[in-house]
Amino acid sequence: MKYAMLIYDDDSAWVDLPDDEKAAFRAEEMPKWVALFEELGKADPNVSGKELDGRGTAKVVRVRDGERIVTDGPFAETKEILGGVFLTELPDLDEAIRLAALIPAAQGGGSIEIRPVVQ
Amino acid sequence: MQYMALIYANETEWSDLSSAERESMYDRYRSLAREAEETGVMAGGNELGPTRDATTVRVRGDETLVTDGPYAEVKEALGGFFLFECETMEEALDWAARIPAVEHGAVEVRPVYVDPEEAQL
Repeated sequence: MKYAMLIYDDDSAWVDLPDDEKAAFRAEEMPKWVALFEELGKADPNVSGKELDGRGTAKVVRVRDGERIVTDGPFAETKEILGGVFLTELPDLDEAIRLAALIPAAQGGGSIEIRPVVQ
Repeated sequence: MQYMALIYANETEWSDLSSAERESMYDRYRSLAREAEETGVMAGGNELGPTRDATTVRVRGDETLVTDGPYAEVKEALGGFFLFECETMEEALDWAARIPAVEHGAVEVRPVYVDPEEAQL
């Protein structure tokens, strides 16, 4: 079964930091992510993931009556924002839950939404 | 540079479509994907199952909390995404504006994060 793990987290702690401070913040978090990548890779060697840039880079596009409307900012004005996605092929939902709980964002106040992928 | 186009739309409207209507919608998605592929812009994409099939996981302290349902109950839910390989945000928005859901829902375009240090390698 293919699952998407949607990572929702409050990015305000780091997203607006200057580049060097952001790098230091990320370096501190990195060992937890490396441990996660290892577990994910064991469960699904073809796992893929994408991290999204901060909310300040988001644009939303709509078309109404043939007219394109582009607005700044993410679609949902929530404190927690979609920050990344993993796509994994796993035997069942229990395994997806086990791995989702290892995502550092799940432990740091964020939430992981697991959704089946339509094949 | 990769851009993720996140598709937000009303799930009830989607599930209320007749099978012919849904098939014609899928045709539009497939033809967009094909064109993006032929242009070398297509870098991936997936349709997500409905939010009623979602499971949300949080860890607080030592406890793993698992709840049925999506992270947030919203009228327009994330239903899928395209991953476009584009030079600029403008170009990514041009592609995003052709996703059928823009006509009734919305598409959020976000650059995929590139670590400044990795980018220098």
